[in-house]
Amino acid sequence: MTAIPLVFALLAAGIWFAAIAERFASARRFPSAIVLAPLWQAARLLSQQRVRTEYPDALNWALAPLVYGALAVAGLSVVPFAPGLVVAPLDTGIVLWGACEALTIVAVFLHGWSANSMLPLIGGYRFVAIGLPAMLLSMFVLIAAALPAQSLAVGAIVESQRSMWNMVRQPLGLPLFLLLGLAISLRGPMDYGDASDLSGGTAAEVSGPHRLAWGIARLAMLTAFAAMGASVFLGGYLGPWLPGPAWLALKTAALLLVLTWLGCNLARMPAPRMMAALWLVLLPLSFLDLVIAGVEALL
Amino acid sequence: MTLTAVLIVAAALIGTGLYGALSQQSFVMLMMGLELILNGVLLAVIAFWSLGVGGPPRGQVLAIVVMAVMAVEMAVGFALVTAVFRRRQVDTTEKLGTLKE
Amino acid sequence: MTAADLAFYVLSAIAVVSGWRVFRTDSMVRASFLLMLSFIAVAAIMLMLAAPYIGMATVFMMAVEMMVMALFMVMFMMNPAGLNPMNMVHQNRLSIGAGATAFVGLTVAVLFTDLPHEKVARQAPVIRDLGHELLGPSMLIFESAGVTLLAAMVASVVLSARSGRFGPSDEGSRPPGLEPGGEPAGRIPESEQEDE
Repeated sequence: MTAIPLVFALLAAGIWFAAIAERFASARRFPSAIVLAPLWQAARLLSQQRVRTEYPDALNWALAPLVYGALAVAGLSVVPFAPGLVVAPLDTGIVLWGACEALTIVAVFLHGWSANSMLPLIGGYRFVAIGLPAMLLSMFVLIAAALPAQSLAVGAIVESQRSMWNMVRQPLGLPLFLLLGLAISLRGPMDYGDASDLSGGTAAEVSGPHRLAWGIARLAMLTAFAAMGASVFLGGYLGPWLPGPAWLALKTAALLLVLTWLGCNLARMPAPRMMAALWLVLLPLSFLDLVIAGVEALL
Repeated sequence: MTLTAVLIVAAALIGTGLYGALSQQSFVMLMMGLELILNGVLLAVIAFWSLGVGGPPRGQVLAIVVMAVMAVEMAVGFALVTAVFRRRQVDTTEKLGTLKE
Repeated sequence: MTAADLAFYVLSAIAVVSGWRVFRTDSMVRASFLLMLSFIAVAAIMLMLAAPYIGMATVFMMAVEMMVMALFMVMFMMNPAGLNPMNMVHQNRLSIGAGATAFVGLTVAVLFTDLPHEKVARQAPVIRDLGHELLGPSMLIFESAGVTLLAAMVASVVLSARSGRFGPSDEGSRPPGLEPGGEPAGRIPESEQEDE
């Protein structure tokens, strides 16, 4: 049961780290107060007034950030911190992760829809259009990673990387998975739900504590993606000298840096062109990834 | 949790789904009724396997077939709705009277 | 009553009540997500019934499916955001009767049948068994499900594509005549029938 506090510690540290990294990546310098800046922003949001719209679906509006955050926690619950040290040692860890991703799309759509306002609704629709193929792709990539392990359990996938990391074995896997992480956590080049051209998209009408909760949930999802990517493609807790949880934290932090750098430095394509890219370029690439994994399994 | 109890829940789902499929005017709501019926069937199949016959997971194979049926129903159903909507700009069953002839 | 029993009763109450609310709610989007809730409750019951793979795959599939359903709802319904009240029901009494009859009939059948009682062993490696079953003895069934899905994909593209075989389908395209320059073959579109 020591794994449960570890999950929350990793989440809290990841959220803080990602918030700082994001500030740093967008400012391109290191302001002196950057370490405490997320706290000040949180305090400011907590004391802000709440915006109300006309006839919102209040229950779903309030639930959406909570569901989104809870899905990040549920996804992290299958990530092992050391051999046997995992909250939910499921044989179907990958499938649980996939179910969480699929429900994430529903949570974001509900967040946009329940505000009963135009811009959030458009953000919700656009996110569904981009998020569904993205989620599909990530499942193919994860199945390819599960192939050498001959198991759907995340622990077995980590153990299968003792001789070689999946990042080397399946070079296409990690980049595709990171791209999807950006899409699901609404960030940078794949941010179609909360995009700035919709003045915040699904979060256009929220303020105060609600906006804080939504921001924390998005960072939590980003952290969960980084931890999952580190486990499935970078060998998770495996590594010399240091204990397992430390290696997982280091790899997660490295992936968070990459993700925030990508999020702040790549431009966003128009939604129709991104749809075409997803279905016509990235989906075949994920099939290629599956083929590579299959051929390697046969050799 | 006995087999009887699970099967009664499945029966309740099937009954509710049947009510929905017969009473709704909109095509999409009608398909929701069909989905609910299949939901009950899925539960009953798994319950029969898990609490009734045991042994090799043949019952789960049947469940996978039921899930494939759901997907086919959704895909072809929505394609039909789209095709009908293109031709006639309608989305309710009453407006399709000419199919009776 | 054990904790598992309690969880089962709560989950089945959620499944049935949200399944019923699907047809009583005002909004299309709410209806499809209530149906998703019903499916998730059933999936949780399946997890308790030693079918973890099918249970989680159901959640996965239903989340995607209901999302698509909500989008189609919004596309084809008259109130785009789906937040305005509406009621579109026909043959209500007949339907209630049919639904109740189905429920009562099935329940009576369940109560008066001598059901088998062979349970799946607690520690059975069900997921491994399922994999071996799917790619072993039941491969033909599994593959036919796959081919059926492929056929469904082709069928849905053919049905929903705007470009019909003889021109745009929403302009009442008709096949060419049986002899050169003759009457177009096939059914006469409704719009032209009224003119005659």
